[in-house]
Amino acid sequence: MQLIGEITGLRHTAKQTYFELRDREGAVPCTIWANDLSRLKLPEGALRDGAEFVAGGGPDYFIGSATSSPGFSFRVTQLRLAGEGDLLARLEALRKQLRAEGLFELQKQLGRALLPRTIGVVTAESGAARRDLLAGLERRGWRGTLVWAFAPVQDRHAAPAIAAAIQGLAAQPSVDAIVVTRGGGSLADLWAFCDETLCRTVAMLRVPVISAVGHERDSTLIDDVAAVACSTPTHAAEAAVPLDCEAARGDLRRVLAGLRRAAEGTVRARTPHLVHLAGGPARALARQRSALNQKTREIRAASERGLAVRLDFQWRVAGVVLARAGRRAVGAEAERRRVALHRAAVALRAHEPERTLERGYALVEDTAGEPVSAAAAARAAGRVKLRFADGSVGARIEEE
Amino acid sequence: MSEKPDSYESAVERLEQIIDRLDSGQAGLRETLDLCREGRDLVTYCTAELDAVGESLRELKLDELAAKLDSSTG
Repeated sequence: MQLIGEITGLRHTAKQTYFELRDREGAVPCTIWANDLSRLKLPEGALRDGAEFVAGGGPDYFIGSATSSPGFSFRVTQLRLAGEGDLLARLEALRKQLRAEGLFELQKQLGRALLPRTIGVVTAESGAARRDLLAGLERRGWRGTLVWAFAPVQDRHAAPAIAAAIQGLAAQPSVDAIVVTRGGGSLADLWAFCDETLCRTVAMLRVPVISAVGHERDSTLIDDVAAVACSTPTHAAEAAVPLDCEAARGDLRRVLAGLRRAAEGTVRARTPHLVHLAGGPARALARQRSALNQKTREIRAASERGLAVRLDFQWRVAGVVLARAGRRAVGAEAERRRVALHRAAVALRAHEPERTLERGYALVEDTAGEPVSAAAAARAAGRVKLRFADGSVGARIEEE
Repeated sequence: MSEKPDSYESAVERLEQIIDRLDSGQAGLRETLDLCREGRDLVTYCTAELDAVGESLRELKLDELAAKLDSSTG
């Protein structure tokens, strides 16, 4: 029969050695005869409180004496330091249990900031992990606030100090993420990071924990419960700051240029149409003015020749004749013309500047009411009027 | 105009929506100008966030930070 546990309450007498083997479930009192112990040839100092041992033997009963009570104990005949294999077996059992409790998922469901301002770090005060993490952050272009919580990171006794450091960081409201890191080592060296209490603590935190413990092949339990498990401190830096700050600056510059292009492009695309609309009233006025001049000239010529009265008579005759002809033409042809005229009116209305103004455009006019259709003309005019659908406002041209 | 974004992530997400809308070519003049203005504000916000973590690395020990918080609240 074999037991595995931590030695506690170690006590030697001349004949026997007494101790308890303890794990998280409880403790079993053990005894070993002094000569059995010396036969095992354990390394000097190996059998000590806190050491992890595998004990072989069987149950024993002490019937009691004048000075001691009767009691059961585990009679140890074989004793060896717990090796990697024993630790792995215990690790696997614990891993299975925590997974079954759903503790591996909690951290992974937490949102992680793309750009944290403050990162907490639990690591040894001296060591390559600290330097590598700093180098990783520098490569990201991240220069925010780092809060160091230094803790021993060697063997299982470091676990409470590591847990306290993590909890201390998580209690700071400014800390956006926590990195826990140390370099590689044997499973016994890394055993603190497989501590059940530590791993349960990490699983329940509301701040994402990024673990980078040991090397790629090392798999500690904290890697399973953490939000992200990384193989190196450099990777942990990248996981803690998901955004590459330098690249993001470049992206923002490109986005800004794109926005500028969109704004300018949309105005430029509409400018020719606006210019055309702006020219419309001027063209119409010019046509009217020319027609009026023509009439004036004709009237003047007619009156000069004294034919105005006859001309008027002839016009009236012509009017009667045209009216008769018009009446004869009533029917399909007139209807066709009416429809065509209606269409033209609708089309014309669609092009009226007022319609455009109703859609939110404005016409620029100079103080005399002449349309201003070019930036140079606006600059020359100095003062302009902006004509909206509901009225005009004065405006002054200013160069940016 | 939308409100100030609450994080870099949400600002970037909104910027992507704006760019998609502008790229679609369906936005009218007024909407385009509004989107461009909003986009510029978002870029300004994101740049400020990057600047906040871009100047010089600040290193604190946990107990220093805790002491500072205690003195500011106490």
